[in-house]
Amino acid sequence: MKFTFDNNIPIYIQVLEYMKIYLISGVFKCGEKLPSVREFSTTFKVNPNTMQKALAELESMNLIYTERTNGKYVTNDINLIDKLKDEYAITLAKSYFEGMKRIGLGKADSIKYLEGIND
Amino acid sequence: MKLLEVKNLCKIFDDKEILIDINFSIPNGKIIGLLGKNGAGKSTLIKLINDLLTPTKGEILINGNKIGVETKKVISYLPERTYLNKQMRVKDVINYFEDFYDNFDADKAKKLLKDLDLNIEQKLSKMSKGMLEKVQLVLVMSRNADLYVLDEPLGGVDPATRDYILDTILSNFNENASVIISTHLISDIEKILDEVIFIDKGKIILQSDADKLRNKEKSSIDEIFRRMFKC
Amino acid sequence: MLNKLLKYDLKYMIKNMSVFYILALFFGITTRILFSLEQTIIINILGQISVGCMFAMVVNILINTIMRSWVRFRDSIYKDEAYLTHTLPVTKNDIYNSKFIQTLIFFVVGFLIILLTIFITYYTKDRWLQLKVLISTITTGLELNSTLFVISFIAIIFLEIFNAIQCGFLGIILGHKKNNNKVAFSVLFGIVAYFLSQSIVLLLIFIVGLFNSSIMDLFTSNILLDTSAFKLLIILAIIIYFLIIILMSILCKKEFNKGVNLE
Repeated sequence: MKFTFDNNIPIYIQVLEYMKIYLISGVFKCGEKLPSVREFSTTFKVNPNTMQKALAELESMNLIYTERTNGKYVTNDINLIDKLKDEYAITLAKSYFEGMKRIGLGKADSIKYLEGIND
Repeated sequence: MKLLEVKNLCKIFDDKEILIDINFSIPNGKIIGLLGKNGAGKSTLIKLINDLLTPTKGEILINGNKIGVETKKVISYLPERTYLNKQMRVKDVINYFEDFYDNFDADKAKKLLKDLDLNIEQKLSKMSKGMLEKVQLVLVMSRNADLYVLDEPLGGVDPATRDYILDTILSNFNENASVIISTHLISDIEKILDEVIFIDKGKIILQSDADKLRNKEKSSIDEIFRRMFKC
Repeated sequence: MLNKLLKYDLKYMIKNMSVFYILALFFGITTRILFSLEQTIIINILGQISVGCMFAMVVNILINTIMRSWVRFRDSIYKDEAYLTHTLPVTKNDIYNSKFIQTLIFFVVGFLIILLTIFITYYTKDRWLQLKVLISTITTGLELNSTLFVISFIAIIFLEIFNAIQCGFLGIILGHKKNNNKVAFSVLFGIVAYFLSQSIVLLLIFIVGLFNSSIMDLFTSNILLDTSAFKLLIILAIIIYFLIIILMSILCKKEFNKGVNLE
């Protein structure tokens, strides 16, 4: 995966978003050990300090935790992840409806369009 | 103790003030962008840190030491020109670095060169400028230094190499070390910076945490820089 | 660290000088062979060419040793390579000493190669005897030991040229403190340093002359020196050159330690 960053927004916030998607989509599962800061920063191609900051943010949200000397782990609390997923899905849905509203389509029409899409 | 401390530094050349009363310091473990237009004084500052110029006034301390043998042991410097004896082969240069620098990791250098498809048997005089720049970057990043000073490392390289260079820098400096990268190509490099120092007309205009600055100004470092120094 | 610097300085000189050493010896040998053959016109012409080449190489060794020392000094201390030289964890004294010793070694080696070449080309028992006789006619008149005379004569020339090389180093160091026309200033300062050093040699001999009338005769009259004065003069010259070379190297290092300003 190629990570692109918008230089107008603090980099750690963008890394944080990528990390949230990783957690929601189960790339890293509940209780799983996370790679080191170093490894993360080479995959994201960002500064280790930036990565550290993003992980600290995740930790303050209780999505990950640090086990002394052992490294960082994904939370064991599946509810937290589900809540995150919920929030994320709502944001995505909202932005979809907002977009449809801009071209003059109401909620009911918008849902119809959604149902019409085949994978 | 600060890793690098610059106090009241002045450099006058031919009655021209190239650097005027520079004061700043750099802690361990940061990547710092030294940003400025061409001729702003970036290279002069870097050359003073590396004992290639003699200050007119002021002081530079590395881990509390004045510039000298001790500071040269812990600074790994990438100049903007090729400084290797062209009569040598790549492997000779590796031996050379191993001879002089206790913190040089020859195996690492060989590995990085291999990743870059560079042949250690090749003579430097037979290499293109781009290849030589890569060899130098590998040599510099293969040292286990406290401070890496990279002068315009992204000079005339193509975007693919640019990515590789940033990658090499990111994955090879050790945790307690700091990296100073001087450049005028800000947008290419800003995402890896912790801190930025803006330098213009021989003076330091600003030193700030990169993300804090982005947050405050709601724009990229590149744009902030352009706004500040409208040409 | 001096030994490591020296290792690379010597390697550089070997790379650049060995071809001249080999060619000088080669033409020495071919000359010898060609002149030992029956002299037809062709062989004679080839022999003359070979002699010419041999002398060209001998001169080449002499000039190249001097020029290379200067060029190497300037390149590794003030040009692109200086960016590496000055960022090595070595003292400025070591950098200078390495160049000094490298020059000394290659000067001795070049000298020996030249002697060896001439020996290979011309040595026969008769010529050796002739040379001996020639030297002893000079030395017996002065009541000197032939061997000592030759050795001190060579030593003086050697010290003299070496002093000139080091004056070049000082010229390069001072010239590169200027912001413009560094090469021109280097040459100028080098020449000034050389003349100053020569004046000091004369001045010192003159000062000794104040206390020794037979040495003073050197300055005041045209008559040849007497034996004891001549011996004293030789010893004096060697000591003075020695001192000047040491003083000059201290001066060079002092100036060098004030720091560089690379372009």
